[in-house]
Amino acid sequence: MPTTTTSAASSSSSTASASGNNSNRQADVFSRLASSDPEVKLKALREVKNQIIGNRTKKLSFLKLGAVPAIASALADADDSEKCNNILVQSAAALGSFACGFEAGVQAVLDAGVFPRLLRLLTNPDEKVVDAGARSLRMIFQSNQAPKYDFLQEKNMEFLFSLLNSENENVSGLGASIIAHACGTSVEQRVLCEAGVLEKLVILLDGSLSQREACLESLATVLKNNPEAVSDFVGLESGRYLNSVTELTKDRYPRTRLLSCLCLVVIYNTSPSYFVNMGTKSGLITTLLELLNDPGQSGDDAALGLSCLIAGKEDLQKLAYEANAIKNIVDILKTDSELQTKRLQGLFLSLAELCSKLEDCRCSFVSLQVLDLLINALRHKDADVKAAACICLRNASRSVKNLSAGRFNSDHVMLPLVQLLHDPSSSVQVAVLGALSNIVLDFSSPKSSFIEFGGIKQLIELSKSMDPNARCSALRALRNLMFLADNKRKELYISDVNAQGFACLISDPEPPVQEQALALLRNLVDGCISSIEFVFDEDGLILDTVGRQLRKGPQAHMAIQGMYVLTNVASGTELHKEAVMQQLFPQATGSENFMLKFLQSDESQLRSATVWTIINLISPSSPGAYDRHVKLRSAGIIPQLKNMVNDACLDVKIRIKTVLGQSMSFGDNY
Amino acid sequence: MPVRVVESSTPPQVSGTDPGNRSQLPPSSLLGAGQAFSGTQNVSNQQKEEAWRVNVQIQGIDLEHGYLCGTMEALNVPMADTPVITFWEGEIVDGNNYTFYTGKWEATREDDMRHWSKFPSFSPLQGQVESDGGRQLDRNNYPYIFMRWKEQYFVNVGTDCGLTIAGFYYVCFSCSDGSISGFYYDPNSSPFQKLELKTVNEGRSGFSFSSYELQ
Repeated sequence: MPTTTTSAASSSSSTASASGNNSNRQADVFSRLASSDPEVKLKALREVKNQIIGNRTKKLSFLKLGAVPAIASALADADDSEKCNNILVQSAAALGSFACGFEAGVQAVLDAGVFPRLLRLLTNPDEKVVDAGARSLRMIFQSNQAPKYDFLQEKNMEFLFSLLNSENENVSGLGASIIAHACGTSVEQRVLCEAGVLEKLVILLDGSLSQREACLESLATVLKNNPEAVSDFVGLESGRYLNSVTELTKDRYPRTRLLSCLCLVVIYNTSPSYFVNMGTKSGLITTLLELLNDPGQSGDDAALGLSCLIAGKEDLQKLAYEANAIKNIVDILKTDSELQTKRLQGLFLSLAELCSKLEDCRCSFVSLQVLDLLINALRHKDADVKAAACICLRNASRSVKNLSAGRFNSDHVMLPLVQLLHDPSSSVQVAVLGALSNIVLDFSSPKSSFIEFGGIKQLIELSKSMDPNARCSALRALRNLMFLADNKRKELYISDVNAQGFACLISDPEPPVQEQALALLRNLVDGCISSIEFVFDEDGLILDTVGRQLRKGPQAHMAIQGMYVLTNVASGTELHKEAVMQQLFPQATGSENFMLKFLQSDESQLRSATVWTIINLISPSSPGAYDRHVKLRSAGIIPQLKNMVNDACLDVKIRIKTVLGQSMSFGDNY
Repeated sequence: MPVRVVESSTPPQVSGTDPGNRSQLPPSSLLGAGQAFSGTQNVSNQQKEEAWRVNVQIQGIDLEHGYLCGTMEALNVPMADTPVITFWEGEIVDGNNYTFYTGKWEATREDDMRHWSKFPSFSPLQGQVESDGGRQLDRNNYPYIFMRWKEQYFVNVGTDCGLTIAGFYYVCFSCSDGSISGFYYDPNSSPFQKLELKTVNEGRSGFSFSSYELQ
């Protein structure tokens, strides 16, 4: 039971007296909550409820004083007699208010153990009590902390349907809310559909505003990623309810418009074939764009909804771009500095999706000065916002044109990105690595802000991370940084990495990491011929490791990079070419030569890379070319190429023709 | 390559895009990001013979959209103290994103055919291009790639350098050996300035390939 508290000391007497009065009143409320006089208790409950409604600060203040357990006790102590009904209503309402949009409140209500009591209110003979209980429970079920609901248990399903069947809109709305927030798996979706939940939910579409909105939310949950459920829904009364949902996107209430849009987004993402009408897609995008301006939660959800809708779909991104989406979003970001984190995240993710495939969008970033907005967002306190801004930068920098123009190579852009490499959040780290991977590809200048800020050392560290995603991303960034790099830049990396360490990267347990390590190596040994020497450090450890990995029969993507390493080394001196031959034909052999396997791969790039290695090995200008040709012929490689003169891939065919031409110059016949 | 300007004008035309089949050209190893080429551009006019040494580097290529880009460096340019570098963007004539008909940059269809027909490798295609725009061409087996390259801006000098990049190049790339020939078109410049480039191997005995991956 909460007791009186003393007020904090204050310099001014009037402030002291005000805060003193405040805390005295609060202390007084607690004693009255515990009163045995129902009228006193009721008045106290009303007082608390009226103070906390819509007032987060008050909620927090009362929470800290222990109001929730006090109210929970008041609810528990009240019996089901008529005279206690008002107490039941007010205490349920107060608890519901604590839980409304306030996670700490939800936690406190659940911790107070009052959930079962609230459920029992649903069977109270008094409609007002039922209402209050249902409303309160709905608030709890809006939260991720709501108790799990086991749809697979028959009695739970019966209870759920009793709620959905209720004439009381708050009770049926509660049923829909439970579905909306607790249904998570395809098994649960199927069980609900088989029990007839879609038929029950669509009745609510014609109900009150509150029922309609609850129905839309729960429909989206039941249909999400479930083509059978979508098909069932669309089949209901020959598509009548799909039309109803589509019509609701023009409803006068923003929240209804939003929820119907989100429902359509789910249907579109699950089964796009139901949206052949271009007008529907355009209308959906236009409505979501308008909703972005809604100041409330609808605006927050619209931003995320838009990003989900256009994700991966070039046609929708184009529609959104033509509907001026970028300018709309940029205007919101520029004019409102107090946006909620969820909305910011959604807006940046929408921008990211818009420029994921469309070059026009990426170019308009520059003209609309979006970069400055993104750089500011990199300093936001919320990890989701930072990650979204990084993803946006990554997609915007997916433009060779903008990279060539040096749009991203400035201290202003690079410094916050490099700083984020230390961010404690792994999602931010992965996102910033993605952005940096692209941005380090600056064709405009040999000078790199990234290197000047110590970026290479950080990438080297991250390439040793426990997280394989981080290792892979760091290596990709290094690979791109070393694209056409001069020796000076390569030395900055090589001097900090020994052969042993690099060999470990090539032999990493994760194939994508191996692939990026080999791609990095490919770039390191390209360019000036002296850069090939790196693979010979520590008795040729790196080259041996490459050979060993290729002999293991790797996945095509890794093999392609490995073969290009050998191609590049084989474009060097005689010594380099002989070293490659030793990898192709090691002392101890028993199995089929991997080159033969690669030449028969379904991947044309792998066939091509393998043929390039051969071209370089028997390049007529080199002294040992003839002997190498003899060896390749004996190993069956040249004969294999003769079988491939009509390869399906033009590039492979042309390269084979080159080899066979060289072969002929050594006296071989076609 | 920046050139001197001569006054003239022709009305613009709608650029030809064929929305039909989305099949794209097969990739060519020697026309990839990182590949370097070196050669000359003949900038002779009636007054004098002149040729500039030229280096070209491909920076990016997107076959799906028929797009590529890179830089062009002109050395020994008389009015410049340093080599002049420009950034250019290319359209690959793949019959889907772009056709042989330019439809812009003051190039008429007649200009197009006049230039394309200067490439020996275009002759086998000419009849079909003239009859149906080249829609039926089997590009998967033809070892030449036709492009248009248009310089977009100067990278290392100002626009007041006395040079212009108003025109564009008709380009033919040989998939076999990576050689490039081109003809510069600008109604205000000397006609048919020829660009001739070969692949560069940077002192190596063979071909070497660098790569990047955009996320």
